[in-house]
Amino acid sequence: MEAASASLHAGEAEHHGPPAAHRSSRVDPQMLGMLLFIISEIMVFGAFFTAYFFIRVVQANPWPAAGTELPKLVAGFNTAILLSSSVTLHWALTSVKNGNRWGLRAGMLTTFLLGLTFLFVQINEYVHIGFAPHDSAQASVFYGLTGLHGAHVFIGLVLLLMVTVRAFRGHFSPEAHRGVEIPGIYWHFVDVMWVIVYCSVYLL
Amino acid sequence: MTAKLRAPGWYRAALFLLLGVAFAYVLVGVVRTLMHEHTPWHDGQAITTVSLIAAPLFFLVGIGCFDYWFAWASGRPTRPEDHSSHGAHSWRDYFRVNTDHKVIGVQYICTSVFFLFVGGLIAMLMRAELAQPGMQFVDSSTFNGLFSVHAALLIFLFVIPVFAGIANYVIPLMIGAPDMAFPRLNALSYWMLPLAGTMMVLSFLAPGGAFATGWTAYAPLSTDMPLGQMFFTVGVQLAGASSIATALNFLVTIITMRAPGMSFFRMPLLVWANFSTSLLVVIATPFIAASQFFVLLDRALGFHFFDTGLGVGKDGYVLMYQHVFWFYSHPAVYIMMLPGFGIISEIISVKSRKPIFGYRMMAFSLLAIVVLGFTVWAHHMFVSGMQGWIRIPMMITTAIIAVPTGIKIFSWLATLWRGVLHLDTPMLFALGFLTTFTLGGISGVMLAMIPFDIHVSDTYFIVAHIHYVLFGGSLFTIFAGIYYWFPKITGRMYDERLGKIHFWCTFVFFNLTFGPMHVLGIEGMPRRVADYAQQYAPLNLAISIVSFLLGLSMLVFLYNMVVSWRGGPHAVANPWRALTLEWQVSSPPPIFNFDAVPTVVGGPYEYGVPGAVHGIFQSPAEARPTAGTIATSPTRE
Repeated sequence: MEAASASLHAGEAEHHGPPAAHRSSRVDPQMLGMLLFIISEIMVFGAFFTAYFFIRVVQANPWPAAGTELPKLVAGFNTAILLSSSVTLHWALTSVKNGNRWGLRAGMLTTFLLGLTFLFVQINEYVHIGFAPHDSAQASVFYGLTGLHGAHVFIGLVLLLMVTVRAFRGHFSPEAHRGVEIPGIYWHFVDVMWVIVYCSVYLL
Repeated sequence: MTAKLRAPGWYRAALFLLLGVAFAYVLVGVVRTLMHEHTPWHDGQAITTVSLIAAPLFFLVGIGCFDYWFAWASGRPTRPEDHSSHGAHSWRDYFRVNTDHKVIGVQYICTSVFFLFVGGLIAMLMRAELAQPGMQFVDSSTFNGLFSVHAALLIFLFVIPVFAGIANYVIPLMIGAPDMAFPRLNALSYWMLPLAGTMMVLSFLAPGGAFATGWTAYAPLSTDMPLGQMFFTVGVQLAGASSIATALNFLVTIITMRAPGMSFFRMPLLVWANFSTSLLVVIATPFIAASQFFVLLDRALGFHFFDTGLGVGKDGYVLMYQHVFWFYSHPAVYIMMLPGFGIISEIISVKSRKPIFGYRMMAFSLLAIVVLGFTVWAHHMFVSGMQGWIRIPMMITTAIIAVPTGIKIFSWLATLWRGVLHLDTPMLFALGFLTTFTLGGISGVMLAMIPFDIHVSDTYFIVAHIHYVLFGGSLFTIFAGIYYWFPKITGRMYDERLGKIHFWCTFVFFNLTFGPMHVLGIEGMPRRVADYAQQYAPLNLAISIVSFLLGLSMLVFLYNMVVSWRGGPHAVANPWRALTLEWQVSSPPPIFNFDAVPTVVGGPYEYGVPGAVHGIFQSPAEARPTAGTIATSPTRE
């Protein structure tokens, strides 16, 4: 019987899978990949902060440009919204580790909605802030940094949406939750990066 | 027909490409309507810009790079161990999305060699124009476009990706892994490349001509250029994204997928070299991405990162572009050199039948270059008008970075010392590399000296230096590597006689082409010009004639590769009697590399050590050393 099925598949003999690769590190490949990607992302932000440094410090331009004002308070509330989404994301991850399916779904959905709220508040801020990128170099840096971060929130939201869809379709279990954990790390990175952007652009 | 348009492949890719342009057209029209612009549907600049971004992404979706991930993201069933897109059974498999690192490696190498020839032909056009003073074939702005596209293609579409291609093929085999860590990401990073290259070449068709800012695209020149500049700005983003994704893949592969027994200090130096390069790429490449984002935002959305004249207290800072650009692009010269160092280490050790001299110092000097590479960027800006004091520390660090490079040169020389040299084509290119790269390194240290640099800034001395390190350095290592792994990749032997002819022609004509440029530069002939003073005419004519011969010698290489691949004698598994793992499997290797993961029991370069073994095809339990049978990593005095 076995021989018969073997000859049946002789034509696809080379279609057997590869031998499992040897694991030479305790680090998860996906986790390591995400961490390296985050290093790369930090460097993109680093380049935008270089622009900020040259225009604000080296060029000694007043910050913000004369006659403009940055909505510190609204952005502060927005910061709180984004940071709380990190907490709900952690709740979702803890839930899936404990096998709490309802907690996973509720946590992911809340996180996604909080992130979406942040993005809407940010866009609303652009509409009402009263200056445009072409008004001054400071305005360019402001839109550059917050826009770059906004783009990352958007990417993060796409990832969170995938996780949420999969959570509602019954994926993930206490044994297999890497699909929640790794996009989650990205989301935490986006949050931490916002704190840095908020402090240097709005507060300082 | 609809089935063909639904299945991943070229038909769907072409359809999606059109959809991408349509999407860009509609997006621009709608946004401009919302902003109450005049004639919202007729802005060719904006439509082209958005198309340049959207169409490649649509193409990638169409050809099938994202199919698996889309299925995964929407929660549809996927099989992680689905190998339907793995491996090549006919030449057609090289023209579709393939997840086999060997296929991707060949795709990378062939694509980048294609762009090498495109870039080389452009160089021939330039030399034709420069054969005499005055204007002959092209006008000056076309000439600016020629040298810009030449440099951009050869840097972003040849040197960087061809190293990624060689590494893609060799590294999983070398470390005993069945494939890269992320095969689908690997395929995606390959498919971005032909798009980037096509985009740069197509810039010649843009109104106003190709981008004419050099490969550096300094602001504000780049922010004021005609539309052709966008083809560079977006093309570099694609090539950069491709290179970051590959580097990340290499790092994860090297860290997590080494065969049992292969500790970091048993890795072949090619693996070390690509490990270091990948670190550089992951850390530095985002900076060029950002610099091109700045240019994109300036051009497309009216940002003012660089403009002055907005009023006191509102001005941008124009030198910021150069700082950000060189913070990538100086490490980038090591991205274009370190993998070559790895190739040379392999070849010199194998071909002189001796252990590599100072293995650990070779590895550490790579890491030293990675670290020091980030401390020297402003030596490109000595005459830019930046703060004068920065020049001194940059001069010192630049001189210091020659030390780890010197360690490598001397280690190679010491490896050759009293070795049994096999002077075949790969070895000849390796020795040629040692000569020309040392010359290029010396002119590099000369350029680090501020007074000398000021004297030769923007002259042909710079052209000579960069070609000595990138042509005499990188390209020689690439030729060496292609000849060295040709039997492994194709299963055929190349023609040794033609290989030697190729080497000697390249070596002689290379030196005759670029050597005299040092003299021209010191005499003050400016680079990047189509016309020049009468006094430089004789030397330029000689250079042009020799450069055509250099171009012709590339045809010997092409002929050798094509003919040998089709009908060369079959290669044995290990024609060089090398120890590293890729030579322990058949040529070409089996579709999944290894039937069983090998175990590494010794160092990779123990040539001439009696009984030395690097890897064996047994599990670690079976491979436990029993007295006298296996020489475990011999300790040398």
